[in-house]
Amino acid sequence: MVSERITTSSKPRGKPWRYTPHEGHWDEAMTASGFPRRHWRGLLAALGRMGVEQLNRRWRAGEQLIQANGITYNVYGDPQGKERPWQMDPIPLAIDSADWAHVERAVVQRATLLNSVLADLYGPQRLIRERHLPAELLFANPNFLRPCHGVMPPGGIYLHIYAADLARSPNGSWWVISDRTQAPSGNGYALENRLVSAQTLGAVFNKCRVSELSPFFEKARDALAALAPNGHTNPRVVLLTPGPHNETYFEHSFLARHWGFPLVEGADLTVRDNRVFLKTLAGLDPVDLILRRLDDSFCDPLELRGDSVLGVPGLLQAVRSGHVAVANALGSGLLETSLPMAFLPVLSRHLLGSDLHLPSVATWWCGHEEPRRYVLEHLTELVIKPAFPRPGRNTEFPAVMTEEGRRQLAARIVAQPEQYVAQEQVDLSTAPVRASHGLAGRHVVLRVFSAWDGSGYTVMPGGLTRVSTEDRSLVVSMQLGGGSKDTWIIHGRRERPAAFSSVPKADLAARATPPALPSRVADNLFWLGRYAERVEATVRLVRALLPGLSGEADFGHGVSLETGIHVLGGMGLLAPELLSGSIGNQRWTLQRHLEAMVYDPARASGIGWNLKQIRRVTWPLKERLSSDTWRVLQRLEADFSGTPPVTAESRLIGAMGLLDRSILTLSAFAGLVMENITRGHGWRFLEIGRRMERTLQMAELLRVCVAQAPFPLEPHLELLLQVADSSITYRSRYLTALRTEYALELLLSDEGNPRSVGFQLAALVQHIENLPQSDSNSGTPIENALAARLLATVREANPDDLAARDREGGISALEDLLKQMKTDLYDFSDALTAHFLSHLTPSRLTPRF
Amino acid sequence: MVFETTHTTHYLYQEPVVQCLSEARLTPRLFTGQRVLASRLQVHPEPASMDERVDYFGNRVHSFSIFRSHGRFTTVATSVVDLDAREPGGVPEIPWEQARDEVARQPDEATQAAYEFTFESPFVPPAPEFADYARLAFRPGRDLAEAARELCSRIHRDFTYLPKSTAIDMPLLEVFRRRCGVCQDFSHVMIAALRSLRLPTRYVSGYIPSGANFQGAEASHAWVSVFVPGGGWLAFDPTNNVTPSGRHVTLGWGRDYGDVTPLKGIALGGGHQTVEVEVRVQPLEAPR
Repeated sequence: MVSERITTSSKPRGKPWRYTPHEGHWDEAMTASGFPRRHWRGLLAALGRMGVEQLNRRWRAGEQLIQANGITYNVYGDPQGKERPWQMDPIPLAIDSADWAHVERAVVQRATLLNSVLADLYGPQRLIRERHLPAELLFANPNFLRPCHGVMPPGGIYLHIYAADLARSPNGSWWVISDRTQAPSGNGYALENRLVSAQTLGAVFNKCRVSELSPFFEKARDALAALAPNGHTNPRVVLLTPGPHNETYFEHSFLARHWGFPLVEGADLTVRDNRVFLKTLAGLDPVDLILRRLDDSFCDPLELRGDSVLGVPGLLQAVRSGHVAVANALGSGLLETSLPMAFLPVLSRHLLGSDLHLPSVATWWCGHEEPRRYVLEHLTELVIKPAFPRPGRNTEFPAVMTEEGRRQLAARIVAQPEQYVAQEQVDLSTAPVRASHGLAGRHVVLRVFSAWDGSGYTVMPGGLTRVSTEDRSLVVSMQLGGGSKDTWIIHGRRERPAAFSSVPKADLAARATPPALPSRVADNLFWLGRYAERVEATVRLVRALLPGLSGEADFGHGVSLETGIHVLGGMGLLAPELLSGSIGNQRWTLQRHLEAMVYDPARASGIGWNLKQIRRVTWPLKERLSSDTWRVLQRLEADFSGTPPVTAESRLIGAMGLLDRSILTLSAFAGLVMENITRGHGWRFLEIGRRMERTLQMAELLRVCVAQAPFPLEPHLELLLQVADSSITYRSRYLTALRTEYALELLLSDEGNPRSVGFQLAALVQHIENLPQSDSNSGTPIENALAARLLATVREANPDDLAARDREGGISALEDLLKQMKTDLYDFSDALTAHFLSHLTPSRLTPRF
Repeated sequence: MVFETTHTTHYLYQEPVVQCLSEARLTPRLFTGQRVLASRLQVHPEPASMDERVDYFGNRVHSFSIFRSHGRFTTVATSVVDLDAREPGGVPEIPWEQARDEVARQPDEATQAAYEFTFESPFVPPAPEFADYARLAFRPGRDLAEAARELCSRIHRDFTYLPKSTAIDMPLLEVFRRRCGVCQDFSHVMIAALRSLRLPTRYVSGYIPSGANFQGAEASHAWVSVFVPGGGWLAFDPTNNVTPSGRHVTLGWGRDYGDVTPLKGIALGGGHQTVEVEVRVQPLEAPR
């Protein structure tokens, strides 16, 4: 065992580091004799000066940055759609420039090679006919998309972005262990890792002379734009995501922002006349190039996989007719298997006239007799992989199988040999990670990215280093909870310091013309407004009713148990049969109900349930909401997802505290909306949702607390004013006991009271008039007419007349008015949806025999 | 013999459809034994665009889109086809194992092209049950065509023809266990059995004449063809236990139903849909 104290001549300020790499593997930082490698010396020396405590301190700031930037990674199979904070280790992986130059050359060669292979397989297929590749690579491969055969992408470029996973064997040489040709993920995370590590390590980063990443992204962006068909000088490029539940959604939204491309889902795009358009509030916006993060077989439910609605029906025909390009080209997932690795050395000589600069891990395809014999004879030394990715097929490790298990595996290989590939067990190098006691060795895999740059491939000078999950484990997977590192290419030249404030995020975004707001986004904002308001209304109502339960409220507070029962019953939230029986029983029923509204997330129309709806509609808006807004919403959901206290009394007290706090959080949300969002159509839709919902809620309160209130009226009016947050205004304005006509004036007519119906409707009319007008000659849109009518009705209404009671003691005029208002509002919502937001569900024509 | 085929499909929607994109493989393809004298595809409502192309398997495809709100969608495909009524000439005798091995070696272009049809496809996943069933007819050393004929008869005998008994999304193994289905189920079962022996088999979509005592004449029909090295593709209709020749009008072929679905579409809106299909195949007194 070699042990090394990493200290330097200058005075160490904290505890020195101890780092002991595992034996038998290449260690990235240390030589076998226990000395730091040359390109790690600067970094390790700086860490030594920094000491454990300071690094820990700095790293806390780094972790806060990860949180603040909302860097997350979704884990599949989590019913809550839980996202996990991005796992990152502060110690970067350093690679020296000479070593890197070799990797770079090899990755460029490999990207070029794989692109030519795709061009052949989706074209003349000479490689198959001349037997350089087995026909099975196409015919037994579910990722060979026959409808894409013969479709030539612009410039013959199939791979715009290609990634290779590299591992280093004990003798220090790199091996390619997998190829990513479909829609490689990780370059956005790599860039985020750089932002975090450059900020956390500050001066160390500047001193180490690390290659910058951002020029790579600029080049990739410009080359993409240059390949867009239709010859526009400023082509519209969109980034197509499967949606917020995808594991790397964060990266999709991050890259979209970084590159200034709109982030879209399949339903945001439509194909007409073989052209692709983005559906926006202002109409259809033509799209020239689609950068996809959706697997190709899902991209067109008409011609490709029919069991999916993630894609864009008709996309392939649009591609075929040359009006739109897709990157990577549809069909390029074909090579994302280990099968081609067995043939690449020969293909490289045949197509490029040169040997592979970097070998792939040794691979045998069992479809040919000779390699099959070898594999069956050496089963225990090999790893068996499915030749073609299909659900339910996994990598198998004969070394750890029983004799019987190996026998069965061999039988399966013999029965369907073309379905199996064998590879040598890969050995991974180790690198130091921050551990509780200092540094620890973990295995690493490096993902290297390359992009078409217009004349060839460019490699990103860095990469995504992934770290094994446990100490000695060779499993490296973000899905399984592994970590990541920044990757520093130490170029050794003196360049101007890479100041990371210069990551051209804002600059790039500004260069692209922003498109009009996608309809789906407007739809989600509208519902965010509605649900947020619904939560607030529920919180205020429950908060006003809870004190009535304690009994003491009967003195002075005004809102009694009876009032609560009448109001909840009148709103249809409590079944009438629950309300008979003794006073004690009634109190118990009411308490249980109110508690459920606060604590039970499954209770329809409860607070938790509405918060879940908020989560559903805000997920796809992530990249549009500020991190503050996002945090406020997260806090709200977290507050209401705790376990309720055990005793009834503490539940009651707990609920009061919770509700008081959430009013503040909701106000913070409302404040952010008012003060921090620009007055675009997005904001308008959020506001329309909120105003519409507040009108509905107020109409409901007025119906139950005024129009249908039994005598005595006062407790109901008192409750109404409390829920509407207007008690103080009432008392200072009217200086009198509670009177129906005054309450109506304040909460129905007064357009200066932000809680009144009049205020909401006036705002609604104004917002509606500012929405884009699609067709000038089609007259006033229905929703505008309805909003205007609603406002006019309220303006004409006279509170004194409305307050007059009929012979039965009810207020039928008010009731009629509120009823009409509700109908009009629902019609308004329908008209608005039909006009701007129409999102019909696609359905498949079913055949019949 | 000359036939006129008319294939009408109506979709009726409960709610309006605002947009519909479709792909039709309703035009008979041209090959030795079948000449297409005329063909026409009518679509209502009038599509905004209509493209025609030839797909990966050589079938003729129309793709079109409708952007008008509609409650009813109709396609009428009419064709006049001249079929060569001669019985297929001498099919070479070859033990099925030898045929299998020859295809796997792919010595020429014909076998290379046929090889593609020995692999599993989306509607025809492999299962050991299919191989067991196939081996009842494919005894060691038996002539390929003869064994295939017996397999065809067995399926015809063992399976009950029951319209509407299966949905297209029912897994094939389930169909196989229930022993009943419609023409495309019969065909998929035969394909699965033959491919389990690694014999190249195609799915053929087409029509059969009305009133000829055939099952499946009222809708679009399906059968299979098997590759015989040195003899080309030999067709079998397991639904009717016949060798299609002279009276089966071929629309196109592929690996399975998914490759040659007569009419595919994605509609926006629509709600519940009802579909009516009518196929007529009439002999024409064509002057020769």
